Amino acid sequence: MSNITINTNIKKLLFIGAGANDFGREAEHDAAIYQVMPELRGHGIDVFVIDENPYALSLESLAATSFWQPLTVDNIKMIIQANQIDTVVPLFGGEASLRIWAEVVQSWSHGDGALPNTLGLSIDMLLKVNNIPAMTAFMADNGLPVIKNYVLKAQDEANELLRTLQLPLMVRALHPNQTNTRHIIERLDDFEAAIHLAKSQSVTQEVILSRAINGLKEVSLEVLRDVRGNKMQIGASEDMDPIGIHTADSLSVSPILTIQDQLISRMRDYAFRVADMLQLQGIMHVQFAVDDDTDKIYIIKVSPYIDQMASRMALATGYPTMLVAMNLAMGVPLEAIVLPHNFGPQAAMMEPMMDHVVVKLPVFPFGELAETGIHVNRQLNSVQKSVGSTLGFGRTFIEALEKAIRSAHFNNASFSPTNMAHINDDELIQQLIHPQDNRVLLLIEAIKRGYEIDELAELTAIDEFFFHQLQHLHQLESEIEADADSITSLKRGKKYGLSDGLLARFWHTDFKIIRTLAQTNKIEVTYKAVEPSAGEFPENARQYYATFESENESMQVAEDAILVIGSGAFRMGDAASGGYATTITMSELHRLQHPTIIMNNNPSDATLLPHLADKQYLEPLEISDVMKVVELEQPKTIIIPGNRRKLIRALRELGQQVVILPKEKHTPGGPDENESEFALNLFFDGEEVYPINITQHMAGEMRVIAPVNAMPSTLTFTALENPGVYQIIWYERTVLWRQAVDFTRIQEASWLRPMPFGQIAFLTKAMCVEWLRLTIRAALHELTAQDRTLLANVHDWVIPEPIAIVAADVNYRLHLQPSEVIDGTRFEIGVSVSDYGRS
Amino acid sequence: MQRHLILEDGTVFQGLGFGAPATTFGEIIFHTAMTGYQEIITDPIYDGQMIVFAMPVVGAAGIHAEAYESVKPTIRGMIVHDLAEVSVNRQRRMNLDRFLKQHNIPGLYQVDTRQLIRHLRETGPQKATIVDYADEHAVDQLVATVLTNKQVQNTATPKPYANPGRGRHIVVIDFGLKHGILRMLGDYDANVSVLPYTATVEEVLTLDPDGIILSTGPGDPRTLPESVLTLIRVLQTKVPMLGIGLGHELFAMANDAELMPLPSEHHGMNHPIQEIISQQIFYAMQGQGYAVDETTINRKKLFVTYRDLVDGAVQGLRHREFPAFSVQFFPDAAPGPLEATAVFADFFETVEDYVEHYNQY
Repeated sequence: MSNITINTNIKKLLFIGAGANDFGREAEHDAAIYQVMPELRGHGIDVFVIDENPYALSLESLAATSFWQPLTVDNIKMIIQANQIDTVVPLFGGEASLRIWAEVVQSWSHGDGALPNTLGLSIDMLLKVNNIPAMTAFMADNGLPVIKNYVLKAQDEANELLRTLQLPLMVRALHPNQTNTRHIIERLDDFEAAIHLAKSQSVTQEVILSRAINGLKEVSLEVLRDVRGNKMQIGASEDMDPIGIHTADSLSVSPILTIQDQLISRMRDYAFRVADMLQLQGIMHVQFAVDDDTDKIYIIKVSPYIDQMASRMALATGYPTMLVAMNLAMGVPLEAIVLPHNFGPQAAMMEPMMDHVVVKLPVFPFGELAETGIHVNRQLNSVQKSVGSTLGFGRTFIEALEKAIRSAHFNNASFSPTNMAHINDDELIQQLIHPQDNRVLLLIEAIKRGYEIDELAELTAIDEFFFHQLQHLHQLESEIEADADSITSLKRGKKYGLSDGLLARFWHTDFKIIRTLAQTNKIEVTYKAVEPSAGEFPENARQYYATFESENESMQVAEDAILVIGSGAFRMGDAASGGYATTITMSELHRLQHPTIIMNNNPSDATLLPHLADKQYLEPLEISDVMKVVELEQPKTIIIPGNRRKLIRALRELGQQVVILPKEKHTPGGPDENESEFALNLFFDGEEVYPINITQHMAGEMRVIAPVNAMPSTLTFTALENPGVYQIIWYERTVLWRQAVDFTRIQEASWLRPMPFGQIAFLTKAMCVEWLRLTIRAALHELTAQDRTLLANVHDWVIPEPIAIVAADVNYRLHLQPSEVIDGTRFEIGVSVSDYGRS
Repeated sequence: MQRHLILEDGTVFQGLGFGAPATTFGEIIFHTAMTGYQEIITDPIYDGQMIVFAMPVVGAAGIHAEAYESVKPTIRGMIVHDLAEVSVNRQRRMNLDRFLKQHNIPGLYQVDTRQLIRHLRETGPQKATIVDYADEHAVDQLVATVLTNKQVQNTATPKPYANPGRGRHIVVIDFGLKHGILRMLGDYDANVSVLPYTATVEEVLTLDPDGIILSTGPGDPRTLPESVLTLIRVLQTKVPMLGIGLGHELFAMANDAELMPLPSEHHGMNHPIQEIISQQIFYAMQGQGYAVDETTINRKKLFVTYRDLVDGAVQGLRHREFPAFSVQFFPDAAPGPLEATAVFADFFETVEDYVEHYNQY
């Protein structure tokens, strides 16, 4: 027996959420908090959570008392004092929440009472982690390889320093006020502007300058450390793109393929030493720059909290990352961690191994913006431009890459194989040196045109492995193209992850023909489990991916299962709403006790949390991918977002029972500067229409303004088919908040549409009525008598506290350098709550 | 070219050939490490074996001058899912495929290695062959083949040699030594003499070592001559001793413990290993078909120092009376986590203590 010292003083614990979605911040924090809260509740702890993001699922969890409020020092203090909070967990909210908690701690005064205990990091270390030069010096003092930082305030100091340093240089803000971006300066001309920009991002007007290490490999390791100092590695990935391109914008691969063991072991050792220095209890992501010619390694970033790497690795390996990280933060040693029964007895302590390849591809907003005539700087650099990402799982790099491309760009003609033919050689070279979002296609095009691998590797600083792979892919595609309708080619193509759709394009036919050809020739998909022992132990896996191998491991999970089709990556405009809707759907199915299957590929939201489904398919969402799962699982019902029209049609043709989550294809809309968009909101249960209330939407802000006392008798709803929340929209030239609305105008300029998921999230939280759950229950004919009473009376509800959602303060100019101002109402990335009524 | 892997139980796997087009026989095992394929295939402990890699893509890190565990690999086959053709060699284009060709070792890729591993974890290791045609003749051949149990003789040095340094004098008894151990001793600037396992007590003590290492090695230690155990019994009373891998198993046997074959061999680096005295957990490269049967340990002589927390297997022993200890895992970190190298620090501490107080020994 080991003598375990679990912290038993934790009675009331507060999570600080991550706030609105932004570049580099999707729903991974909320998902992590949402996942661990019920476990804490199970240990008898009172759980509280504050977040301002209307999409936050943790705010709707039954396991916690939630505060939907702006994340301010005052609000956090107030919650702590009013609820006698004794423990705070900032680490699950990531960098933003760490920063705000540091502010709370620094402004805590004697009169505020006892400062709650911080889990995971001591206050000292918390402050250190927030201060880049201090952290860098701390690591250097401990003999760790870092790049020296120079902190400066004035431009002439910078000019002085410039004489001793060589270009390229990296410029960052010290104590960043919100977003912390790195700028690489390669030309002297850009120096002044970069310093100026970094200063403007700094609370103290100070700038950090250091040598840039462009061209090295970027590697990420995810490690854990427990209260006893035990450490383990739970994930690793390498970026295809070298340092100089933001890691979020890079194609990343797990496991690390191109770096030899000795270097990886050294990085692991460095990461462990950093964890020890910080006396960390929890999870940490460490980023390295690696020069595998000289075997030099530098630590470039330390993130002792949940971030996208953590959630991506959890999905890629099947290791119970979030549950273990929470236990560690609570002081439970690795050895004593008890996991839910679907994990093996030693699962927490075994380092996860992978027998599959996972490729992460970023998703960029350029297409959506270009459609409305906004042009942005598409060149990738050290400032993040992607807004989301998808994962592709396969048994080879090419298969995983093909599946990631399919996930990131489904229905997107820009990934057609002939897309690059028009580009001339000069442009090609330019883009090889200054890559854009389409670089995978560009690299293939360069190979097509006969550039040597050595040359390309030199020019791009990308490892030759990737060029060999792309060359292989190019050969494969040309051979397949030249060998139409051949079974051998079909088999090869399938093995490397090419979809029915892509093969159909090569052979100038329809995907259905390809499907039939594969079926009649018994080219069958096989599903492999994603489990952390890489086959060493019998697994109880729930996660699967498709490949073309000999053995299939996935069997029908239940005869009456419901299959939920996810909405893939975050995209500009739809923002976090797709993930929110999918997750609520699954949670409701779980409550209604339906066996549930999910298909999705987004690592940064809650849809693929292990406890939400009986089975997960980590797959692209093209029609052929969905069809394969449907054939195997024979689900009773399939739930699909309404914008997937082709898929819905195809499934109905097959006689599948489809439930549609009402959703329109995203089109940028909303009021312009001088007008208001009004909405009469309605719920349709499949038979009757129930009025909800009136909302007013001005550019950047939306409020509930009035109940609906009577419906205009002129309205008919014959067009409605699927249960859900709808709204009738009209515009008026006004910029004043209304108290009441004139219904007579509705007939004129009105428009009936499904309510966007984002507004559903808002209404759900503002009214405490779970509109999506009601939608699911209505669609499955499981509305209760209580539900019906609520629906009949909801039209005269008055929102108890005035509340609004506001477009979050996303710095588009910094990230995208657009040709014109991007309006946050039309192109949403993040949304926050505003408690305008209180101030 | 399409080739086949046939297992003794009759199972056949299809794949594409790489490396040498040779037909070979060997015992097949699987490895779950995700790094260090070059170290693994050149490690003499895998002499005569065929290795299936769980790692999905192998070869993408190239073949490195500093990643050899022996100059000439002696495995009988390598089975992988996907093969990459990367060279980092400045002199020759030397990728994994060419490397295996040069050493006449066949490889098989595009195999459903996950299926194969799931099969092997149930059956345990068995005889296997890589052939062009999976016909009855090939199966008969396989069944009739008797695999050698002379792996130590195949891989250990027949003659003494030195790896000079300016530090402590360490005698390594070679049972199929891997380079990692010499590399670690180099880190301590040790003056190393490597002796064949047939060396006598006299030959070892004449060199007046400050410490003795019983090296790693392949195969079943129970097939080695009794003289090896006698050698250990005498030397452990005189000079600090560290046994590693096969050396650990021999150290246990010399002190009355017995070995048991593991139901499914364990090769990987992801099991938590606990140091019993400190309760610390760490990870190390492990490669073992046998483990010390804990029920046979003579508690008056030995005690258990490390344990694998997954299967409970003994991972380290220490003598109660003499400055002698041993580890089942590989503390040379070649490949594998560096935290395991603490064992060498322990050893050199013991050596320093001995040098300082040798007349009390």
